[in-house]
Amino acid sequence: MQVFVQTLVGGISLGAIYALVAMGFSLVYRTMGLVNFAHGNVVMIGAYLASTFYLSVRLPFALAMIVAIAVTGLIGVIIERVLRPLENKDFDLMLIGTIGFGIVLDALAILIWGATGRAVPSPVRSAPLDLLGIRVRTYDLVVLAVAAAATVLLVLFLQRTKRGAAMQAVAMDHEAATAVGIHVGRSNAIAFVIGAGLAALAGGLVGPLLYVSPSMGGALGIKGFAGAILGGFGSIPGAIVGGIAIGVLDSFAAGHFQGYSELVTFIVFAVLITVRPTGIFGEKTVNRA
Amino acid sequence: MFRIRSTRRAMAAAAAVLALTLSAACSAPGEDDEEAGGGSGPIKIAVVDAQSGQLSSLGKWEYKGVKLAVDEWNAKGGIDGRTIELGLFDDQGDPTIGTNLARKIDSEGYIAMLGTAESAVTIAMAPILRQAEIPNITSGQSPGLTAVKSPFLFLNGPTSTTYDESLAEYIVDQKKITKIALITNNGGYGKGEHDAFTKALAGRGLKPVADQVVTTEQKDFSAALTNIRQKKPQLIFLGAEEVESGLIVKQARDLGITVPFAGAAPQGTPVFIDTAGAANAEGTIVSSPYLSNDISEASKTFAANYQKAYGEAAELHGAKAYDGAQILLTALKNSKVATGQELADAIRAVKHDGLLGDFAFDDTGVGIFATSIGTITGGKLVAAS
Repeated sequence: MQVFVQTLVGGISLGAIYALVAMGFSLVYRTMGLVNFAHGNVVMIGAYLASTFYLSVRLPFALAMIVAIAVTGLIGVIIERVLRPLENKDFDLMLIGTIGFGIVLDALAILIWGATGRAVPSPVRSAPLDLLGIRVRTYDLVVLAVAAAATVLLVLFLQRTKRGAAMQAVAMDHEAATAVGIHVGRSNAIAFVIGAGLAALAGGLVGPLLYVSPSMGGALGIKGFAGAILGGFGSIPGAIVGGIAIGVLDSFAAGHFQGYSELVTFIVFAVLITVRPTGIFGEKTVNRA
Repeated sequence: MFRIRSTRRAMAAAAAVLALTLSAACSAPGEDDEEAGGGSGPIKIAVVDAQSGQLSSLGKWEYKGVKLAVDEWNAKGGIDGRTIELGLFDDQGDPTIGTNLARKIDSEGYIAMLGTAESAVTIAMAPILRQAEIPNITSGQSPGLTAVKSPFLFLNGPTSTTYDESLAEYIVDQKKITKIALITNNGGYGKGEHDAFTKALAGRGLKPVADQVVTTEQKDFSAALTNIRQKKPQLIFLGAEEVESGLIVKQARDLGITVPFAGAAPQGTPVFIDTAGAANAEGTIVSSPYLSNDISEASKTFAANYQKAYGEAAELHGAKAYDGAQILLTALKNSKVATGQELADAIRAVKHDGLLGDFAFDDTGVGIFATSIGTITGGKLVAAS
């Protein structure tokens, strides 16, 4: 029983990170119909920026994260600007464009920070909590709290603000949206910026949990992507459920199948998607007809 | 008209086929590569390692050690008046990329290879290098390397068998610890460590109380570690590379596991100590042929030169690579820049007093058969009492 609960706890903490990554994927897909293949790399850049501001510039962790999110948001703006001429015209080229940007970000990270990577000490100094024999890292609780707060803010933004409503409108019918006076390009830029910000948040939070290196975006990106699809691509609650599900699945697979855990995780994922291709909450995206 | 056109088409097709055949024959890979040895011009040595990815620290250390040796020799005039030229290749820690690079260095006229530091990649490259007759001195330590039985493969350090035998001797025979748990990954290095340490324990009549295997990319070890915690071991043996074992130690301490860890080369590196956190790694028992830079006069000189050249402290992997490069360069000098089987024989004949100890290669390509034991105390590796 103890192994079960402890494995669950371990799975949920990484699952929260996957959920944040999945939210970024889903948001961009939902508003633009685009799978942003550079998303994993943006997570990595966010991790590097946050750790640089935290370790070298010695800002408090929260401030380092905010700065990292701001800078990464700028990267989101640049990516959207460069790809804007392709929007609503050549979708496949846009997709390839994001792959290209991913490669550029990778190379930039190696140029600036070197290929070796760094370890980030946990900003929360206190010892793990011991609840009835189950150990819970205090930092994991912080991660969960931040992820929850980010989700709430995002949902509020999409449903309660004018800009959020504008983004939904563009997703429904971009020509009608233009007719009503919504600047499609700017709306898409905001989507990209929020997506990049979520990526940076995930990257910054995961730094003290793992090891910051140029290759970290790959594994996190793939699992986050799988989480987004599992929960229903484009759905925000789906991204959260899917991300956490992948994290927990991974943890249990490691417990039971040891060296074959990755294989089992993705076989289960493949089976679930075959049974329900649109994911748990259903797919939600632009009308690209 | 019809007949002329079809004749022309047939002739064009025949000409195309002929051209293709000729071009294929002229550039058959590996057959007539220019021999850069035994002639004039720079002596080309390839350095293949992970320069990117999670294992890149190994690659960087190896290149620095090799370059230090080569720069020293070049400063003294090279070999027979020819400069030694290093070509650096990034295998990204991926065996598939490694095999491509093996073919590439063959076709580009490199006469020897130093690296890789990753056992799995070296094992993948070995058959191709054997066919191309390019001697290779590797920093890998997996027993899988000797199992390849290539006369062109040499190790610049001991194998996992040696590391773990020394470790088991210290832990079981000296410290009388009997309840030991294993956590290893399923990569080339981890599997080698798992098998070697289990064998060393079996030779002492012991079985591990827990034997957990994780993947090389795994990030969360809660299941494996909770399992181990329940078995209440006195010590946990780590069979994973620097970063992964650092994460394992960090998470183990978070889960309330207080017993010490033990391992081989990766556990002696600063990357492991940083990733785990110096406080968490305190008391780790390390088996290593190069405990610190102060073990001999030669190592102090080496460390001083390394610090001057690169602005950072030398450690085991740089020292191993330095020894390997020295052996290769000595063999090249002794054999008057031979290549192929002749160079391999020359390497085997070299008796080198290196930073790691005295090298004397046997038929399996291993040259050194002893390690020392150290513990991590105060964030640094010191010799065990």
